[in-house]
Amino acid sequence: MTSEQLAFAIAGAVSIIGAVTAVTHREPRVAGAALLATLLSLAVLYASLAAPLLAGVVVVLALFATVPLVVHLTVPAPRAHRTAPEPPMAGAAAVVGAALLVLLTLAIAYGEVPVNVSVRSADGYDLAALGALLTGHALSAAITSGTVILVALICAGTRSSR
Amino acid sequence: MTTAAVLYLGAVLFAVGAFGTLVRHSAVGRLVGVEVMFAAAILTFVTAAAGFHELDGQAAALIVIAVAVAHAAIGYSLSAHLDRSP
Repeated sequence: MTSEQLAFAIAGAVSIIGAVTAVTHREPRVAGAALLATLLSLAVLYASLAAPLLAGVVVVLALFATVPLVVHLTVPAPRAHRTAPEPPMAGAAAVVGAALLVLLTLAIAYGEVPVNVSVRSADGYDLAALGALLTGHALSAAITSGTVILVALICAGTRSSR
Repeated sequence: MTTAAVLYLGAVLFAVGAFGTLVRHSAVGRLVGVEVMFAAAILTFVTAAAGFHELDGQAAALIVIAVAVAHAAIGYSLSAHLDRSP
């Protein structure tokens, strides 16, 4: 058994067990942790299938969306003892995230971060080609999905703030 | 690791998600089931992209991820709002 087959066996088993636990367990904290394990094991599979960008996107979503949602759903918010305004942590996180994104964009623009990366030496992974594809004949789908996610986030923020 | 094996894994994950969506009664449980189905669909797209040596599957997977994030944001905010409402 090669290392690739071993990684597939472990990640596949973890993803199936995590998915079954996530959909059957009644405790939200356990279900969220199982969903997190499923997403991370699938990220390993994406990386082994020569899709490191998708693996990175899934890891970022799992760590910065799934975990906060699980914490938000399982930890009750204090309502009666909220006297002083909380520090604007969400705004600070947005500023830090935007700064990191600008730094990454500048690093790519100046050639410090190579956009042609390869997980396996046999077949390279061309991020520039993927970007050209998304701005080419998949442009309408990319714009539609971006609009959908923007509207959804605005609606979710509006609904949560009420 | 063959393409068929990963496709079978995606099918199993989709079946598990569909089972959870149909069986669970709570909104959050059904949302988790739909998220598992989204993950299975993304895995299938990525596997097809690797099998055909094309990037179209990865582009489609990115679009599915965007839709899954939108679904999760709306669904979880609605469920949290329903939990808070008397």
